[in-house]
Amino acid sequence: MRLCLGLIGALLSFALIASPAAAQSKPDLTVALSSFSTEVLDPVLGGHVVKYYMSLIFDYLVGVTPDGQLSKDSGLATRWEPSADHKRWTFYLRKGVKFHTGEEATSEDVKWSLQRAIGKRSTTGYAGPLRTLIADIETPAPDRVVIVTKEPTLIIPTYLSRSLSTEGMILPKKYIEATGDDAFAQKPVGSGPYKFVEQVTGSHIKLAAVDSHWRIGVPRFKTITFKLVPEETTRIALLRRGEVDITDVGRERVKELERESFPIHFRREEAILTTWWVLPRDGQPTRDKRVREALNLAVDRSEIAQSIFAGYADPAHVPLGLSWAYRDIGFKVTPDMQYPYDPARAKKLLAEAGFASGFPLTMHAYQLPGLPEGKAFAEAMAGYWQKIGVQPKLVPVDYPAFRKNWFDRATPGAFGYYNVANRDWIGTYAFLEKQAYTKSRASDTVNDPEIDAMIEQVMRQTDKDKIGALLRNVYTRLRSEHYGVPVVYLHSPYAASKTLGKWNPGTVMYDFFLDELASSKR
Amino acid sequence: MARFVLTRLLQSLAALAILSVVVFVLARATGDPLHLILPMSASEEDFANARKYLGLDRPYVEQYLSFVGRALTGDFGMSLRARRPVGELIAQRLPNSLRLAAFAMTVSLLLAFPLGVLAAVWKGTGIDRAAQVIAVLGQSLPTFWVAIVLIELVAGRLQWLPAGGIGGLASYVLPGFTLGWFVVAGMMRLLRSGMLEVLDSEYVKLARVKGVVEARVVWVHALKNALIPVVTFAGIYFSILVTTAIVVETVFAWPGLGRLAYEAISSRDFPVIQAVVLTTAAIVAVVNLSVDCVYAFIDPRIRYVR
Repeated sequence: MRLCLGLIGALLSFALIASPAAAQSKPDLTVALSSFSTEVLDPVLGGHVVKYYMSLIFDYLVGVTPDGQLSKDSGLATRWEPSADHKRWTFYLRKGVKFHTGEEATSEDVKWSLQRAIGKRSTTGYAGPLRTLIADIETPAPDRVVIVTKEPTLIIPTYLSRSLSTEGMILPKKYIEATGDDAFAQKPVGSGPYKFVEQVTGSHIKLAAVDSHWRIGVPRFKTITFKLVPEETTRIALLRRGEVDITDVGRERVKELERESFPIHFRREEAILTTWWVLPRDGQPTRDKRVREALNLAVDRSEIAQSIFAGYADPAHVPLGLSWAYRDIGFKVTPDMQYPYDPARAKKLLAEAGFASGFPLTMHAYQLPGLPEGKAFAEAMAGYWQKIGVQPKLVPVDYPAFRKNWFDRATPGAFGYYNVANRDWIGTYAFLEKQAYTKSRASDTVNDPEIDAMIEQVMRQTDKDKIGALLRNVYTRLRSEHYGVPVVYLHSPYAASKTLGKWNPGTVMYDFFLDELASSKR
Repeated sequence: MARFVLTRLLQSLAALAILSVVVFVLARATGDPLHLILPMSASEEDFANARKYLGLDRPYVEQYLSFVGRALTGDFGMSLRARRPVGELIAQRLPNSLRLAAFAMTVSLLLAFPLGVLAAVWKGTGIDRAAQVIAVLGQSLPTFWVAIVLIELVAGRLQWLPAGGIGGLASYVLPGFTLGWFVVAGMMRLLRSGMLEVLDSEYVKLARVKGVVEARVVWVHALKNALIPVVTFAGIYFSILVTTAIVVETVFAWPGLGRLAYEAISSRDFPVIQAVVLTTAAIVAVVNLSVDCVYAFIDPRIRYVR
């Protein structure tokens, strides 16, 4: 018994050496996420696309509203204008914007940041077109930057805005030059409304508000903490206990949380679950357009939406169809574009193509961040295709292994999928330039000269209406040639605490607009 | 004794050296980390640039020698994924794992000692059977499931304890219990069988004949001698708890070494994988060496067995 008492004593002593609790008292905001993507806090060297916390630390050259429209009120540039030939873009910078070090952000910082973003070491997602286009960056005055392009273009302001990735984030030149890249990644400094406080990789990132910020006034929350909590049950328990204010939740838990009166904020059509076949098509059954159409007709998209995604998804009908861009480019999915569920016609098409008894199809099955249903989805697709005679062979892998296969073209004709984040027209262009453009050899999934020609024209087009027409035509052809199987648009639920108040997570990819939530200007 | 310790130490170092080669090769066999570091839209040029910058374009032998050379000075390089010194990551995570393992071991000792001793003293009774059921459940219920049920019920519904993350003592209770319960079964059984053997020995009978109070016979005289295998077991399990608590650390969002290993393996973060494996191997080697030494100290016959 004395031994037990001794152990209890040891346990209590242990309390004294254990870490102190990180007490969360309002007005602190805590966000629990299942994945942080990469955790490097350098917008350029971290392979970044995710902006949840980055857009709080850094300002963009060009701001956007939560619905993705360019804004002169929320970026470093208060206005911008092209030269008559659209080869010189002048940006007028906001005066008095200061980095967290106290230094003022100037045109030199903008120039240096952009050069770093398109430099050789940059791992940002979409630097390619900028490297192709930018000839020079001039700084005629501390509050003026001129981006000189090799060819006329319209994409520069949007490409450097918050609506795309991290290429347009403005970094402190002097600080990074003084501390070095690695030190900057560990203790980043920006000019955004929140400054970096602490990062424990695999655990959390903590930010603290500046006293006042031109974007949002005096921030409502003194700190914002992002917690990495992979297990959903844990995230929901944290929400119930009031330890987190916002968290991503699985679609099947939505009704339960709604019954408990937790507000659920949906990012509707946050991603399209789209599939493709690894190139090249030569020698593969999918080289035949009828086979590709048959594989589309064999899939019951409504059933997938209901059974796998708990009804929080809608059928998709255009391969790589990023629907948030449709409003920008004036594209509409007409009734004749909608794939019916028609296995009988699918079988007939297969027979016409000479595959009446089907063909073997390698299907990689993997989970993805934000898609825990990944393997169930692949199994469902295999089931549909089996019904029309195809012989699917499910190969369980992790995504990096599939991606290597895909990029190396090691398994031609094999099936792959991804929950591609939805985005506006510039994001769509940047995405198509990688995944539907032959010159981006590794990641291309389409290989169509007509589409290649249209994508090339977008970069050099200076008429917005013509850009819209080009992108509409790209989508029309992607659909008519059945380049892949678009399946569903996923609506992503985020549960909030009952005291959070009104929050518009917006329709910009990989961004939550938490600065809007923190704004005292609302 | 010194020769015995030296021999064991050299064996441990040889094992670590072999392990460093194995983990270096196996980590690279899992795939290319750049497919995770670089975005989907990265070009072939981006891949080449990143490979060069991260030093992954060098021959494997050169990479290995560089790794070993730096590791000997305590420098495990930079994490490919987190762009932080690997030593810093381990320094952040290891204490969390040690604290959790210490708590879990305390929980398991608190449960296993009374259960094991009482089960032996009241062999074949309801207490014995209840103890066995508790122990069997601890070992047979999947840790993942136990963790989820505890979070859902105790943290989410009843709101008695934190659901996850590291904080004050309360945050240790659920992950510590989940980890510790698994260890209880083995420890309790060892203690029970040890106690049964000791309680039947001549010196215990003599103590009883001499009129020593039964509680003292059981909790002092008998328990002391039944402890030797339990100490060994606890030592080995402590190192296992520190190094393999991946499931518990993931479910409870506990920033420990197990989760660091999981994150590193999922992202092919070679420097971190290598450092974590070598660190955990070193922990196991040190614990085993300590247990061997304690054994050799307790039972001199072990020193002379070759």
